Amino acid sequence: MTVNGAEPVITVDRVSRWFGSVVAVSDVTFDIAPGITGMLGPNGAGKTTLLRMMTGLADVSSGTVTVCGQPVRRNPPLYRRMGVMSEHETVYGFLKGRDFVKMMGRLRGVEDLDAAVDRAIGFVDLADASKRAMRTYSRGMRQRMRLAATLVHDPEILILDEPLNGADPRQRVHFQSLLEKLAAEGRTIVLSSHILEEVEQVADTVLLIVNGKLAASGDFRAIRVALDERPYHVLVVSDSPRELAAAVVKLDSVEAVNVDPDGRIVVLSRNVRDLQVELPRIAKAASISLRRVEPLDDSLESVFGYLVERQR
Amino acid sequence: MSSVFFLTLRQLSGRWRLIIMTALGGMPVLIAVTMLQSSSAPSVQEFESYVLSAMLAGAILPLIVLAIATAAFANEIEDKTLANLTLAPIPRWQIVLPKLLASICIAAPFMVASAFGTSFVAFSGDWQAALAVTAAALVGVTLYSSAFTWLGLETTRAMGYGLLYIVLWEGFFARYIAGVRFFSIRYYSIGLMRGFDARRFVTTDDLSFLFAIVASIVVLVGFILLSIRRLRHMDVP
Repeated sequence: MTVNGAEPVITVDRVSRWFGSVVAVSDVTFDIAPGITGMLGPNGAGKTTLLRMMTGLADVSSGTVTVCGQPVRRNPPLYRRMGVMSEHETVYGFLKGRDFVKMMGRLRGVEDLDAAVDRAIGFVDLADASKRAMRTYSRGMRQRMRLAATLVHDPEILILDEPLNGADPRQRVHFQSLLEKLAAEGRTIVLSSHILEEVEQVADTVLLIVNGKLAASGDFRAIRVALDERPYHVLVVSDSPRELAAAVVKLDSVEAVNVDPDGRIVVLSRNVRDLQVELPRIAKAASISLRRVEPLDDSLESVFGYLVERQR
Repeated sequence: MSSVFFLTLRQLSGRWRLIIMTALGGMPVLIAVTMLQSSSAPSVQEFESYVLSAMLAGAILPLIVLAIATAAFANEIEDKTLANLTLAPIPRWQIVLPKLLASICIAAPFMVASAFGTSFVAFSGDWQAALAVTAAALVGVTLYSSAFTWLGLETTRAMGYGLLYIVLWEGFFARYIAGVRFFSIRYYSIGLMRGFDARRFVTTDDLSFLFAIVASIVVLVGFILLSIRRLRHMDVP
Protein backbone atom coordinates (compact mmCIF):
# COMPACT_ATOMS: atom_id res chain seq x y z
CA MET A 1 0.00 0.00 0.00
CA THR A 2 1.14 3.55 -0.68
CA VAL A 3 1.09 6.49 1.69
CA ASN A 4 -2.39 7.46 0.52
CA GLY A 5 -3.69 3.88 0.80
CA ALA A 6 -4.02 3.16 -2.91
CA GLU A 7 -2.58 0.08 -4.63
CA PRO A 8 0.94 0.82 -5.87
CA VAL A 9 1.64 1.03 -9.60
CA ILE A 10 5.39 1.48 -9.25
CA THR A 11 7.31 -0.27 -6.49
CA VAL A 12 10.89 0.60 -5.67
CA ASP A 13 12.23 -1.89 -3.14
CA ARG A 14 15.59 -1.37 -1.39
CA VAL A 15 17.13 -0.01 -4.54
CA SER A 16 20.75 1.12 -4.63
CA ARG A 17 22.95 2.18 -7.47
CA TRP A 18 26.62 2.95 -7.37
CA PHE A 19 29.13 4.00 -10.00
CA GLY A 20 32.53 2.70 -8.90
CA SER A 21 32.97 4.08 -5.40
CA VAL A 22 30.26 6.75 -5.81
CA VAL A 23 26.88 5.85 -4.34
CA ALA A 24 24.22 7.61 -6.41
CA VAL A 25 21.18 5.97 -4.82
CA SER A 26 21.26 4.21 -1.49
CA ASP A 27 18.70 1.69 -0.25
CA VAL A 28 15.59 3.56 -1.39
CA THR A 29 12.15 2.06 -0.89
CA PHE A 30 8.80 3.57 -1.84
CA ASP A 31 5.57 2.87 -3.71
CA ILE A 32 3.80 5.12 -6.16
CA ALA A 33 0.04 5.08 -6.67
CA PRO A 34 -2.18 6.73 -9.31
CA GLY A 35 -2.17 10.52 -9.06
CA ILE A 36 0.70 12.97 -9.26
CA THR A 37 3.82 12.22 -7.27
CA GLY A 38 6.53 14.82 -7.13
CA MET A 39 10.13 13.76 -6.78
CA LEU A 40 11.98 16.62 -5.24
CA GLY A 41 15.64 17.05 -4.53
CA PRO A 42 18.59 19.32 -5.17
CA ASN A 43 20.70 18.89 -8.28
CA GLY A 44 22.87 15.80 -7.93
CA ALA A 45 20.62 14.22 -5.30
CA GLY A 46 20.06 11.07 -7.37
CA LYS A 47 16.61 11.84 -8.78
CA THR A 48 17.55 11.19 -12.40
CA THR A 49 19.39 7.96 -11.57
CA LEU A 50 16.34 6.80 -9.63
CA LEU A 51 13.98 7.74 -12.46
CA ARG A 52 16.20 5.97 -14.98
CA MET A 53 16.04 2.82 -12.89
CA MET A 54 12.26 3.23 -12.62
CA THR A 55 12.03 3.34 -16.41
CA GLY A 56 14.43 0.46 -17.02
CA LEU A 57 16.97 2.66 -18.80
CA ALA A 58 19.53 1.91 -16.10
CA ASP A 59 20.16 -1.22 -14.09
CA VAL A 60 20.02 -1.33 -10.31
CA SER A 61 23.10 -2.37 -8.34
CA SER A 62 20.80 -3.99 -5.79
CA GLY A 63 17.08 -4.10 -5.07
CA THR A 64 14.13 -4.34 -7.44
CA VAL A 65 11.90 -1.99 -9.41
CA THR A 66 8.53 -3.22 -10.63
CA VAL A 67 5.90 -1.44 -12.68
CA CYS A 68 2.38 -2.92 -12.67
CA GLY A 69 3.86 -5.91 -10.86
CA GLN A 70 6.43 -6.64 -13.56
CA PRO A 71 10.17 -5.99 -13.56
CA VAL A 72 10.76 -2.92 -15.69
CA ARG A 73 14.29 -3.71 -16.80
CA ARG A 74 14.61 -5.66 -20.07
CA ASN A 75 10.84 -5.74 -20.46
CA PRO A 76 10.05 -3.69 -23.61
CA PRO A 77 6.34 -4.70 -23.81
CA LEU A 78 5.81 -2.73 -20.58
CA TYR A 79 6.68 0.49 -22.44
CA ARG A 80 3.30 0.28 -24.18
CA ARG A 81 1.85 1.41 -20.83
CA MET A 82 4.54 3.94 -19.97
CA GLY A 83 5.41 7.38 -21.26
CA VAL A 84 8.85 8.61 -20.29
CA MET A 85 10.31 12.06 -20.81
CA SER A 86 13.99 12.14 -19.91
CA GLU A 87 15.81 15.21 -18.64
CA HIS A 88 17.86 15.56 -21.83
CA GLU A 89 16.45 18.18 -24.14
CA THR A 90 18.18 17.01 -27.32
CA VAL A 91 15.83 16.32 -30.19
CA TYR A 92 16.26 15.21 -33.79
CA GLY A 93 16.68 18.75 -35.12
CA PHE A 94 16.12 17.77 -38.75
CA LEU A 95 12.69 16.31 -38.01
CA LYS A 96 9.54 18.39 -38.05
CA GLY A 97 7.72 18.39 -34.73
CA ARG A 98 4.79 16.46 -36.13
CA ASP A 99 7.06 13.89 -37.78
CA PHE A 100 8.85 13.34 -34.47
CA VAL A 101 5.61 12.71 -32.61
CA LYS A 102 4.40 10.49 -35.44
CA MET A 103 7.61 8.46 -35.39
CA MET A 104 7.31 7.97 -31.64
CA GLY A 105 3.69 6.89 -32.07
CA ARG A 106 4.60 4.44 -34.81
CA LEU A 107 7.36 2.94 -32.66
CA ARG A 108 4.83 2.48 -29.87
CA GLY A 109 2.33 0.74 -32.12
CA VAL A 110 -0.35 3.44 -32.01
CA GLU A 111 -3.43 2.73 -34.09
CA ASP A 112 -5.11 5.61 -35.89
CA LEU A 113 -1.80 7.40 -35.79
CA ASP A 114 -2.79 10.73 -37.35
CA ALA A 115 -5.60 11.26 -34.84
CA ALA A 116 -3.29 10.35 -31.93
CA VAL A 117 -0.64 12.77 -33.18
CA ASP A 118 -3.19 15.59 -33.54
CA ARG A 119 -4.48 14.94 -30.04
CA ALA A 120 -0.99 14.85 -28.47
CA ILE A 121 0.15 18.02 -30.24
CA GLY A 122 -3.14 19.66 -29.27
CA PHE A 123 -2.45 18.79 -25.63
CA VAL A 124 0.74 20.86 -25.68
CA ASP A 125 -0.76 23.61 -27.83
CA LEU A 126 1.86 23.44 -30.57
CA ALA A 127 -0.23 22.73 -33.68
CA ASP A 128 0.95 25.93 -35.39
CA ALA A 129 4.63 25.01 -35.07
CA SER A 130 4.27 21.30 -35.73
CA LYS A 131 5.29 21.54 -39.39
CA ARG A 132 8.58 23.28 -38.64
CA ALA A 133 11.90 21.51 -38.13
CA MET A 134 12.59 21.13 -34.43
CA ARG A 135 16.00 22.82 -34.71
CA THR A 136 14.06 26.08 -35.11
CA TYR A 137 12.21 25.58 -31.80
CA SER A 138 12.89 27.42 -28.57
CA ARG A 139 13.87 25.35 -25.54
CA GLY A 140 10.34 25.51 -24.17
CA MET A 141 8.83 24.43 -27.50
CA ARG A 142 11.20 21.48 -27.71
CA GLN A 143 10.16 20.38 -24.25
CA ARG A 144 6.48 20.65 -25.15
CA MET A 145 6.92 18.67 -28.37
CA ARG A 146 8.83 16.02 -26.40
CA LEU A 147 5.90 15.91 -24.00
CA ALA A 148 3.53 15.43 -26.95
CA ALA A 149 5.70 12.52 -28.11
CA THR A 150 5.53 11.08 -24.57
CA LEU A 151 1.73 11.30 -24.59
CA VAL A 152 1.07 10.08 -28.14
CA HIS A 153 0.36 6.46 -27.17
CA ASP A 154 -1.91 7.52 -24.32
CA PRO A 155 0.17 5.88 -21.55
CA GLU A 156 -1.32 5.11 -18.17
CA ILE A 157 2.00 5.81 -16.42
CA LEU A 158 3.95 9.00 -17.04
CA ILE A 159 7.47 9.55 -15.77
CA LEU A 160 8.70 13.08 -16.41
CA ASP A 161 12.21 14.20 -15.46
CA GLU A 162 12.40 17.98 -15.02
CA PRO A 163 9.73 18.57 -17.67
CA LEU A 164 9.34 22.27 -16.93
CA ASN A 165 12.91 23.20 -17.85
CA GLY A 166 12.75 26.10 -20.26
CA ALA A 167 9.02 26.67 -19.87
CA ASP A 168 7.74 30.22 -19.43
CA PRO A 169 5.12 31.06 -16.76
CA ARG A 170 2.20 30.69 -19.18
CA GLN A 171 3.45 27.31 -20.32
CA ARG A 172 3.91 26.22 -16.72
CA VAL A 173 0.27 27.01 -15.93
CA HIS A 174 -0.82 25.16 -19.07
CA PHE A 175 1.40 22.19 -18.21
CA GLN A 176 0.10 22.04 -14.65
CA SER A 177 -3.52 22.01 -15.76
CA LEU A 178 -2.66 19.32 -18.33
CA LEU A 179 -1.07 17.14 -15.64
CA GLU A 180 -4.07 17.60 -13.37
CA LYS A 181 -6.39 16.58 -16.20
CA LEU A 182 -4.31 13.49 -16.97
CA ALA A 183 -4.16 12.53 -13.29
CA ALA A 184 -7.93 12.95 -12.97
CA GLU A 185 -8.27 10.26 -15.65
CA GLY A 186 -6.60 7.81 -13.26
CA ARG A 187 -3.05 7.95 -14.56
CA THR A 188 0.06 7.58 -12.48
CA ILE A 189 2.37 10.54 -12.95
CA VAL A 190 5.84 10.97 -11.49
CA LEU A 191 7.31 14.41 -11.90
CA SER A 192 10.80 15.35 -10.80
CA SER A 193 12.08 18.81 -10.07
CA HIS A 194 14.62 20.65 -7.99
CA ILE A 195 12.21 23.56 -7.56
CA LEU A 196 9.97 23.26 -4.52
CA GLU A 197 7.16 25.48 -5.80
CA GLU A 198 7.04 23.69 -9.15
CA VAL A 199 6.14 20.41 -7.47
CA GLU A 200 4.02 21.96 -4.74
CA GLN A 201 1.51 23.29 -7.24
CA VAL A 202 0.66 19.94 -8.83
CA ALA A 203 1.77 17.01 -6.68
CA ASP A 204 -0.42 15.32 -4.08
CA THR A 205 2.42 13.20 -2.79
CA VAL A 206 6.08 14.03 -2.55
CA LEU A 207 9.28 12.02 -2.41
CA LEU A 208 12.21 14.04 -1.10
CA ILE A 209 15.55 12.72 -2.29
CA VAL A 210 18.76 13.96 -0.65
CA ASN A 211 22.23 12.51 -1.24
CA GLY A 212 20.76 9.44 -2.91
CA LYS A 213 18.47 8.66 0.01
CA LEU A 214 14.77 9.10 0.58
CA ALA A 215 14.70 11.93 3.13
CA ALA A 216 10.94 12.20 3.43
CA SER A 217 7.82 11.05 1.65
CA GLY A 218 4.10 11.50 1.91
CA ASP A 219 1.43 14.13 1.67
CA PHE A 220 2.81 17.42 0.41
CA ARG A 221 0.90 19.54 2.93
CA ALA A 222 2.37 17.64 5.90
CA ILE A 223 5.85 18.12 4.53
CA ARG A 224 5.15 21.77 3.83
CA VAL A 225 4.11 22.26 7.47
CA ALA A 226 7.37 20.65 8.53
CA LEU A 227 9.20 23.03 6.26
CA ASP A 228 7.35 26.00 7.66
CA GLU A 229 8.28 24.98 11.20
CA ARG A 230 11.99 24.96 10.56
CA PRO A 231 13.95 27.96 11.86
CA TYR A 232 14.84 30.40 9.11
CA HIS A 233 17.45 33.15 9.12
CA VAL A 234 16.05 36.25 7.46
CA LEU A 235 18.10 39.35 6.66
CA VAL A 236 16.26 42.66 7.09
CA VAL A 237 17.66 46.06 6.10
CA SER A 238 15.75 49.14 7.19
CA ASP A 239 16.29 52.82 7.96
CA SER A 240 15.81 52.21 11.70
CA PRO A 241 17.32 48.82 12.59
CA ARG A 242 17.38 49.03 16.39
CA GLU A 243 13.77 50.17 16.65
CA LEU A 244 12.67 47.45 14.22
CA ALA A 245 14.71 44.78 16.06
CA ALA A 246 13.11 45.73 19.36
CA ALA A 247 9.63 45.32 17.86
CA VAL A 248 10.38 42.10 15.95
CA VAL A 249 11.92 40.26 18.92
CA LYS A 250 8.54 40.49 20.68
CA LEU A 251 6.92 38.20 18.09
CA ASP A 252 6.19 34.69 19.37
CA SER A 253 7.65 33.09 16.26
CA VAL A 254 10.97 34.90 16.57
CA GLU A 255 13.70 33.11 18.50
CA ALA A 256 16.51 35.63 18.16
CA VAL A 257 17.41 38.95 16.56
CA ASN A 258 20.94 40.18 15.88
CA VAL A 259 21.89 43.63 14.68
CA ASP A 260 25.30 43.77 13.08
CA PRO A 261 27.61 46.86 13.07
CA ASP A 262 26.35 47.80 9.60
CA GLY A 263 22.82 48.07 10.96
CA ARG A 264 21.56 44.92 9.23
CA ILE A 265 19.19 42.71 11.21
CA VAL A 266 19.31 38.93 11.10
CA VAL A 267 16.11 37.40 12.46
CA LEU A 268 15.87 33.75 13.45
CA SER A 269 12.22 32.78 13.04
CA ARG A 270 10.51 29.45 13.59
CA ASN A 271 7.47 30.48 11.57
CA VAL A 272 8.55 32.28 8.48
CA ARG A 273 4.99 32.81 7.25
CA ASP A 274 4.16 34.66 10.47
CA LEU A 275 7.23 36.82 9.99
CA GLN A 276 6.23 37.54 6.39
CA VAL A 277 2.90 38.87 7.62
CA GLU A 278 4.06 40.68 10.76
CA LEU A 279 7.20 42.40 9.49
CA PRO A 280 5.48 44.81 7.07
CA ARG A 281 2.78 45.50 9.66
CA ILE A 282 5.35 46.42 12.35
CA ALA A 283 7.31 48.58 9.92
CA LYS A 284 4.21 50.40 8.79
CA ALA A 285 3.03 51.04 12.35
CA ALA A 286 6.42 52.46 13.36
CA SER A 287 6.89 54.35 10.05
CA ILE A 288 10.05 52.38 9.33
CA SER A 289 11.13 51.86 5.72
CA LEU A 290 12.05 48.28 4.82
CA ARG A 291 14.81 48.31 2.21
CA ARG A 292 15.54 44.65 1.90
CA VAL A 293 14.08 41.37 3.26
CA GLU A 294 15.91 38.23 2.20
CA PRO A 295 15.88 34.65 3.46
CA LEU A 296 19.46 33.60 4.16
CA ASP A 297 19.00 29.86 4.10
CA ASP A 298 16.11 29.23 1.78
CA SER A 299 18.02 27.11 -0.66
CA LEU A 300 16.53 23.71 -1.32
CA GLU A 301 19.65 22.09 0.06
CA SER A 302 19.11 23.74 3.45
CA VAL A 303 15.46 22.67 3.46
CA PHE A 304 16.45 19.09 2.75
CA GLY A 305 19.27 19.28 5.25
CA TYR A 306 16.78 20.32 7.87
CA LEU A 307 14.39 17.51 7.00
CA VAL A 308 17.17 14.97 7.11
CA GLU A 309 18.24 16.22 10.54
CA ARG A 310 14.64 15.97 11.75
CA GLN A 311 14.47 12.36 10.66
CA ARG A 312 17.48 11.33 12.71
CA MET B 1 11.38 -1.06 -38.21
CA SER B 2 11.06 1.42 -41.05
CA SER B 3 10.95 4.37 -38.60
CA VAL B 4 14.35 3.49 -37.15
CA PHE B 5 15.73 2.80 -40.64
CA PHE B 6 14.67 6.13 -42.14
CA LEU B 7 15.66 8.03 -38.99
CA THR B 8 19.15 6.51 -39.16
CA LEU B 9 19.44 7.25 -42.89
CA ARG B 10 18.77 10.92 -42.13
CA GLN B 11 21.21 10.94 -39.23
CA LEU B 12 24.02 9.40 -41.28
CA SER B 13 23.64 11.44 -44.44
CA GLY B 14 25.28 14.62 -43.25
CA ARG B 15 26.76 16.71 -46.04
CA TRP B 16 30.39 16.59 -44.86
CA ARG B 17 30.29 12.87 -44.28
CA LEU B 18 29.04 12.33 -47.84
CA ILE B 19 31.68 14.66 -49.30
CA ILE B 20 34.51 12.84 -47.50
CA MET B 21 33.15 9.46 -48.57
CA THR B 22 32.92 10.60 -52.19
CA ALA B 23 36.55 11.78 -52.06
CA LEU B 24 37.73 8.54 -50.44
CA GLY B 25 35.71 6.40 -52.82
CA GLY B 26 37.07 8.24 -55.84
CA MET B 27 40.72 7.74 -54.88
CA PRO B 28 41.16 4.11 -56.05
CA VAL B 29 39.52 4.91 -59.39
CA LEU B 30 41.90 7.83 -59.86
CA ILE B 31 44.88 5.67 -58.93
CA ALA B 32 43.78 2.89 -61.30
CA VAL B 33 43.58 5.37 -64.17
CA THR B 34 46.99 6.83 -63.29
CA MET B 35 48.60 3.38 -63.04
CA LEU B 36 47.27 2.31 -66.43
CA GLN B 37 48.56 5.45 -68.11
CA SER B 38 52.07 5.02 -66.76
CA SER B 39 54.69 3.35 -68.95
CA SER B 40 55.05 0.36 -66.60
CA ALA B 41 51.46 -0.77 -66.12
CA PRO B 42 51.07 -3.24 -63.21
CA SER B 43 50.25 -6.92 -63.59
CA VAL B 44 46.91 -8.28 -62.36
CA GLN B 45 48.65 -9.65 -59.26
CA GLU B 46 50.33 -6.34 -58.50
CA PHE B 47 47.08 -4.49 -59.01
CA GLU B 48 45.23 -6.93 -56.76
CA SER B 49 47.87 -6.66 -54.07
CA TYR B 50 48.38 -2.89 -54.02
CA VAL B 51 45.08 -1.40 -55.08
CA LEU B 52 42.33 -3.95 -54.40
CA SER B 53 43.74 -5.62 -51.28
CA ALA B 54 45.83 -2.95 -49.57
CA MET B 55 44.05 0.21 -50.59
CA LEU B 56 40.43 -0.67 -51.29
CA ALA B 57 39.78 -3.62 -48.94
CA GLY B 58 42.44 -2.72 -46.38
CA ALA B 59 41.97 1.01 -45.97
CA ILE B 60 39.26 2.85 -47.87
CA LEU B 61 36.44 0.37 -47.38
CA PRO B 62 36.90 -0.04 -43.60
CA LEU B 63 37.50 3.69 -43.11
CA ILE B 64 34.31 4.66 -44.92
CA VAL B 65 32.30 2.05 -43.05
CA LEU B 66 33.92 3.02 -39.74
CA ALA B 67 32.83 6.65 -40.18
CA ILE B 68 29.26 5.59 -40.89
CA ALA B 69 28.54 2.48 -38.85
CA THR B 70 30.01 3.66 -35.55
CA ALA B 71 27.81 6.76 -35.81
CA ALA B 72 24.63 4.70 -36.15
CA PHE B 73 24.41 4.28 -32.38
CA ALA B 74 27.25 6.48 -31.12
CA ASN B 75 25.58 9.69 -32.32
CA GLU B 76 22.39 8.79 -30.50
CA ILE B 77 24.31 7.91 -27.35
CA GLU B 78 26.23 11.18 -27.53
CA ASP B 79 23.08 13.24 -28.20
CA LYS B 80 21.20 11.23 -25.56
CA THR B 81 18.37 10.47 -27.97
CA LEU B 82 18.77 6.70 -27.89
CA ALA B 83 16.16 6.47 -25.12
CA ASN B 84 13.54 7.55 -27.69
CA LEU B 85 14.12 4.20 -29.37
CA THR B 86 14.89 1.94 -26.42
CA LEU B 87 11.75 3.10 -24.59
CA ALA B 88 9.64 1.74 -27.43
CA PRO B 89 7.82 -1.57 -26.81
CA ILE B 90 9.70 -3.37 -29.57
CA PRO B 91 12.29 -6.15 -29.43
CA ARG B 92 15.88 -4.88 -29.48
CA TRP B 93 16.64 -6.58 -32.80
CA GLN B 94 14.09 -4.25 -34.38
CA ILE B 95 16.39 -1.39 -33.39
CA VAL B 96 19.72 -3.03 -34.25
CA LEU B 97 18.81 -4.43 -37.69
CA PRO B 98 17.40 -1.21 -39.21
CA LYS B 99 20.39 0.73 -37.85
CA LEU B 100 22.76 -1.79 -39.43
CA LEU B 101 20.81 -1.80 -42.68
CA ALA B 102 20.87 2.00 -42.84
CA SER B 103 24.67 2.00 -42.31
CA ILE B 104 25.06 -0.49 -45.15
CA CYS B 105 22.71 1.50 -47.40
CA ILE B 106 24.72 4.69 -46.88
CA ALA B 107 28.17 3.13 -47.29
CA ALA B 108 27.37 0.62 -50.03
CA PRO B 109 26.76 3.01 -52.97
CA PHE B 110 30.14 4.68 -52.44
CA MET B 111 31.98 1.40 -52.16
CA VAL B 112 30.09 -0.27 -55.01
CA ALA B 113 30.85 2.68 -57.29
CA SER B 114 34.46 2.79 -56.15
CA ALA B 115 35.07 -0.98 -56.44
CA PHE B 116 33.29 -1.34 -59.75
CA GLY B 117 34.89 1.78 -61.25
CA THR B 118 38.39 0.81 -60.12
CA SER B 119 38.24 -2.78 -61.35
CA PHE B 120 36.39 -1.97 -64.56
CA VAL B 121 39.07 0.56 -65.50
CA ALA B 122 41.94 -1.63 -64.36
CA PHE B 123 40.71 -4.78 -66.11
CA SER B 124 39.86 -2.98 -69.33
CA GLY B 125 36.12 -3.47 -69.18
CA ASP B 126 36.13 -7.06 -67.87
CA TRP B 127 32.59 -7.22 -66.46
CA GLN B 128 33.01 -10.49 -64.61
CA ALA B 129 36.09 -9.30 -62.74
CA ALA B 130 34.48 -5.94 -61.97
CA LEU B 131 31.36 -7.65 -60.62
CA ALA B 132 33.46 -10.04 -58.52
CA VAL B 133 35.32 -7.13 -56.94
CA THR B 134 32.06 -5.23 -56.41
CA ALA B 135 30.28 -8.17 -54.79
CA ALA B 136 33.26 -8.77 -52.50
CA ALA B 137 33.28 -5.08 -51.54
CA LEU B 138 29.58 -5.27 -50.76
CA VAL B 139 30.20 -8.22 -48.44
CA GLY B 140 33.07 -6.26 -46.87
CA VAL B 141 30.75 -3.27 -46.27
CA THR B 142 28.20 -5.57 -44.62
CA LEU B 143 30.73 -7.30 -42.36
CA TYR B 144 32.55 -4.14 -41.31
CA SER B 145 29.18 -2.44 -40.73
CA SER B 146 28.07 -5.16 -38.35
CA ALA B 147 31.38 -4.97 -36.47
CA PHE B 148 31.50 -1.17 -36.23
CA THR B 149 27.81 -0.84 -35.36
CA TRP B 150 28.51 -3.05 -32.36
CA LEU B 151 31.65 -1.05 -31.55
CA GLY B 152 29.62 2.19 -31.56
CA LEU B 153 27.31 0.66 -28.95
CA GLU B 154 30.11 -0.76 -26.87
CA THR B 155 32.33 2.28 -26.38
CA THR B 156 32.31 6.03 -26.71
CA ARG B 157 35.77 5.79 -28.31
CA ALA B 158 34.61 3.67 -31.23
CA MET B 159 36.41 5.76 -33.88
CA GLY B 160 39.74 5.43 -32.07
CA TYR B 161 39.47 1.72 -31.44
CA GLY B 162 38.17 1.20 -34.96
CA LEU B 163 41.18 2.98 -36.46
CA LEU B 164 43.53 0.90 -34.33
CA TYR B 165 41.78 -2.25 -35.52
CA ILE B 166 42.00 -1.23 -39.17
CA VAL B 167 45.67 -0.21 -39.00
CA LEU B 168 47.03 -2.88 -36.67
CA TRP B 169 44.85 -5.93 -37.15
CA GLU B 170 43.65 -5.66 -40.74
CA GLY B 171 46.59 -3.65 -42.08
CA PHE B 172 49.58 -5.13 -40.28
CA PHE B 173 48.95 -8.45 -38.53
CA ALA B 174 46.62 -9.88 -41.19
CA ARG B 175 49.05 -8.93 -43.93
CA TYR B 176 52.22 -10.33 -42.40
CA ILE B 177 50.97 -13.20 -40.23
CA ALA B 178 49.21 -15.81 -42.32
CA GLY B 179 47.17 -17.32 -39.46
CA VAL B 180 45.58 -13.99 -38.62
CA ARG B 181 43.91 -13.94 -42.04
CA PHE B 182 41.43 -16.49 -40.75
CA PHE B 183 40.16 -13.73 -38.47
CA SER B 184 40.32 -10.85 -40.93
CA ILE B 185 37.30 -9.31 -42.64
CA ARG B 186 39.62 -7.89 -45.26
CA TYR B 187 40.82 -11.36 -46.23
CA TYR B 188 37.29 -12.77 -46.20
CA SER B 189 36.46 -10.16 -48.85
CA ILE B 190 39.56 -11.02 -50.85
CA GLY B 191 38.77 -14.74 -50.56
CA LEU B 192 35.27 -14.10 -51.87
CA MET B 193 36.59 -11.96 -54.71
CA ARG B 194 38.91 -14.76 -55.80
CA GLY B 195 36.08 -17.26 -55.55
CA PHE B 196 33.68 -15.13 -57.56
CA ASP B 197 36.14 -14.92 -60.47
CA ALA B 198 38.78 -17.63 -60.24
CA ARG B 199 39.56 -17.03 -63.90
CA ARG B 200 40.95 -13.54 -63.24
CA PHE B 201 42.23 -13.78 -59.68
CA VAL B 202 44.76 -16.28 -58.44
CA THR B 203 43.30 -18.57 -55.77
CA THR B 204 45.63 -19.20 -52.86
CA ASP B 205 45.55 -22.00 -50.32
CA ASP B 206 45.47 -19.89 -47.21
CA LEU B 207 41.79 -18.91 -47.27
CA SER B 208 39.32 -20.85 -49.40
CA PHE B 209 36.13 -19.54 -50.98
CA LEU B 210 34.01 -21.81 -48.80
CA PHE B 211 35.79 -20.72 -45.65
CA ALA B 212 35.29 -17.08 -46.61
CA ILE B 213 31.54 -17.65 -47.05
CA VAL B 214 31.15 -19.47 -43.73
CA ALA B 215 33.34 -16.99 -41.84
CA SER B 216 31.43 -14.05 -43.30
CA ILE B 217 28.12 -15.48 -42.11
CA VAL B 218 29.57 -16.17 -38.65
CA VAL B 219 30.96 -12.63 -38.36
CA LEU B 220 27.71 -11.01 -39.52
CA VAL B 221 25.45 -13.05 -37.25
CA GLY B 222 27.91 -12.81 -34.36
CA PHE B 223 28.13 -9.04 -34.36
CA ILE B 224 24.37 -8.65 -34.79
CA LEU B 225 23.82 -10.86 -31.73
CA LEU B 226 26.48 -8.97 -29.77
CA SER B 227 24.80 -5.64 -30.65
CA ILE B 228 21.37 -6.91 -29.57
CA ARG B 229 22.82 -8.21 -26.33
CA ARG B 230 24.63 -4.94 -25.67
CA LEU B 231 21.49 -2.90 -26.29
CA ARG B 232 19.54 -5.09 -23.87
CA HIS B 233 22.10 -4.82 -21.09
CA MET B 234 23.57 -1.34 -21.37
CA ASP B 235 22.55 1.69 -19.34
CA VAL B 236 20.94 4.02 -21.86
CA PRO B 237 21.85 7.67 -21.24
